[in-house]
Amino acid sequence: MSAKPHFFLFQCQYCLAASDDQHWVENDLPKNVKLIKTPCTGRISPMFVLNAFQSGADGVLISGCMPEKCHYIKGNLGARRQLDEFARLLAYLGMQPERVRFVWMNVSERGRIQQEVVDFEAQLAALGPSEKFAAISASGNAGGRYGQY
Amino acid sequence: MANIDALRQEVSRVLSEKIVDVVLGFEAGSLPTRNQPVFIHKAKESKRLVDNGFGSNNLAALLAQRPKDEKIGVICRGCESRAIRALTVEQQLNRENLYLIGVPCRGIIDWRALERAVDGEILAVAEDGEDLLVTLKDDEKKLARAEVLHSACRNCRQPDPVGTDVLIGELPAREGLAQRSPDVAAFLGKDADARYAIFSEEAERCIRCYACREACPMCYCTECFVDHITPRWSESMVSKGGTQAWHIIRAFHQTGRCVSCGACERACPMEIKMEYITDRLNEDMQDMYGFEVGANDSDQPPFAAFSLDDRNRFKE
Amino acid sequence: MSYKTTPVNQFPKLVSQWIKKYDVTAPAEAKNGLEYKTIGDPAEMMLNNRVNTTYAPKAFFLPQSEKLFTVEHGRFQAPELKTKPRLLLGVRPCDTRAFWLLDTVFLAKGEEDAYWQRRRADSLVISFGCDTPCASCFCTSVGGEPFGREGSDIQMTQLEDVYVFEAFTEKGSALINKLPEADAATVKKVKALQKTSAAEMPKAFDNTNLRDHLYALFEDDFWKEVAETCLGCGVCTYLCPTCYCFDIVDEVQRGERVRNWDTCMFRVYSQEASGHNPRPNKAARTRQRVMHKYAYWIDSINEFGCTGCGRCVVNCPVNIDIREIVSAAQARSAKMEAAK
Repeated sequence: MSAKPHFFLFQCQYCLAASDDQHWVENDLPKNVKLIKTPCTGRISPMFVLNAFQSGADGVLISGCMPEKCHYIKGNLGARRQLDEFARLLAYLGMQPERVRFVWMNVSERGRIQQEVVDFEAQLAALGPSEKFAAISASGNAGGRYGQY
Repeated sequence: MANIDALRQEVSRVLSEKIVDVVLGFEAGSLPTRNQPVFIHKAKESKRLVDNGFGSNNLAALLAQRPKDEKIGVICRGCESRAIRALTVEQQLNRENLYLIGVPCRGIIDWRALERAVDGEILAVAEDGEDLLVTLKDDEKKLARAEVLHSACRNCRQPDPVGTDVLIGELPAREGLAQRSPDVAAFLGKDADARYAIFSEEAERCIRCYACREACPMCYCTECFVDHITPRWSESMVSKGGTQAWHIIRAFHQTGRCVSCGACERACPMEIKMEYITDRLNEDMQDMYGFEVGANDSDQPPFAAFSLDDRNRFKE
Repeated sequence: MSYKTTPVNQFPKLVSQWIKKYDVTAPAEAKNGLEYKTIGDPAEMMLNNRVNTTYAPKAFFLPQSEKLFTVEHGRFQAPELKTKPRLLLGVRPCDTRAFWLLDTVFLAKGEEDAYWQRRRADSLVISFGCDTPCASCFCTSVGGEPFGREGSDIQMTQLEDVYVFEAFTEKGSALINKLPEADAATVKKVKALQKTSAAEMPKAFDNTNLRDHLYALFEDDFWKEVAETCLGCGVCTYLCPTCYCFDIVDEVQRGERVRNWDTCMFRVYSQEASGHNPRPNKAARTRQRVMHKYAYWIDSINEFGCTGCGRCVVNCPVNIDIREIVSAAQARSAKMEAAK
């Protein structure tokens, strides 16, 4: 078992008003966190989230702007309906719901992202590695009904 | 059951009076337990139409590819009428070009279940009230219709056609229609690991023929995410990752749009269960946003609409 | 070659011996009817079923997804192929005929497909003669027989309480040479059964000049009518025992080059990079499927590329019956001929 859980941080590029926070996210994230920066949470397709789990992530942290503060006015409103439901769908199909977390950033909250990353990591560590939904790397070389990929 | 003569008469009338150019319905198929969708072009061909429990497709799925200015008559059951309504809201169909002929629906027979139940070569099937009379090679069997009904029809909440131009026959009194899918409740009754095991087992059988997609009236994208190659959204292989991604994302794209007709499940040669996912997504949309697909002619699907007051799990 | 025999109730014992040496793979019960399974216990196998498996056994030799090679840090690696020999038991003659047809594709001289070749060489096929055709069967209309021997090493036939085996290859006779010889009366019965089964199989259509009929209709609106209700899914081709089209894809994330089945029924199958699609509609794609089976195969090896297993007939979601297409094509082309 790896010591630290691996997870993705999907981040809307406008959600951190403080430039030092953004600098931290871009340069000083712990090695076990992978950053995917998007123009807006509205750009985050549920398929990104699924791909993260399929490629072996233990969790997904999504950070976006406050509802009324979207740079694109309504991007995050659409995103939160979709992503929230997608997380519910994964939970319905057997994933622990705590593996997806949304963070709703207010411009005044300096230093919060650091704390959220630490918290989420602790939460995932408590859950242990994620085994579901990972597209396990091939052992055989044939796939389909009469083979196993 | 619609009076078949009245149905044929109406079809022949709308064709000869040039109200429509073509009528879409079902004719008897090449095997006794199948129907084939058919486009009736001439009034005298209307005698080919049948009305029985073997029309396993959702006819609305065949409308998208028709010429834009064609006037089409569609013989509609509840699920077809709701699909047409939803497609109209999504601006995929022009309601003015459609003439909807509603028929009462008694549910679709799952031919696979029927063939398994009688275990023998079926030569003919006759419907007699609540029973099915099945003629086998050297035997005849009687089965309750309800026994071999497809699960989507057993769970159907709205079997009656909505928004039709004409209704043939009389709608039966409906009692005890399930308001929520018992399959979803049963699935939720299991723990997370068991749920994942069931989902994996179902998705694992997938051969990625995409019959579910093509049979679905609500899957109309010109380019599906699995056909997309730059960028590629999911594994192209028939692998655990590939088939799971297909089933998860396909279902998710149906959130609040699936009309629960079960055409996907009936089309699937591997008999994969899919409705327990989409039904749950629909129930969520109803609980959270009060949205119900096909309920009226104006409500946008929930992911196309949103508001500041949405309930959600984002931390504030 | 000679006929061997074993009582039906002794057969599981024989299979248990085979299981030690081979991956014995036979039809078994699955959630979706019957499916081939590698069995650990002879009780699992279901021989002499009324219906065939949903998924064709061609996938044992041409898996639906196959890793061709892996690239890691710039180094190429060929995949390791499985080596334990497989014994395919209870395959219907329509499906073994498909192996034989596909051998002409994948084992063409000088163009052998290493993967197919290896898997084929590693396996032994025991076919199970059909004595009760289904309503969807039409092997005799396309050059096959309910007791056809092409593509199999051994054929087994059930005569009430005995199984009779006939080996067609050396590999096959090596497997069964220790079994007792069948007596003359038994052999006679087997031959009689083969004859009556073939005679009883109803002809779905007369296949004379079918190729010419189809070519005559190539540009006709016929295909538009046939494909009017086609959904454009891949059920018919993916379940077909003789369809072998594939697409080679790089799975960049995994560093693998993969060969996946593909089907001419999909729009993207013939789509070119420019966006142009030479088969732009369902009519053209349906024509391709039917013409490939009944005309292009004839052009190349003078055999139909259809074995009449009926899987596409049974499983088509909109009940497009290829037998009806063929009959209608013949009628239409004859009418055109008469009008000239």
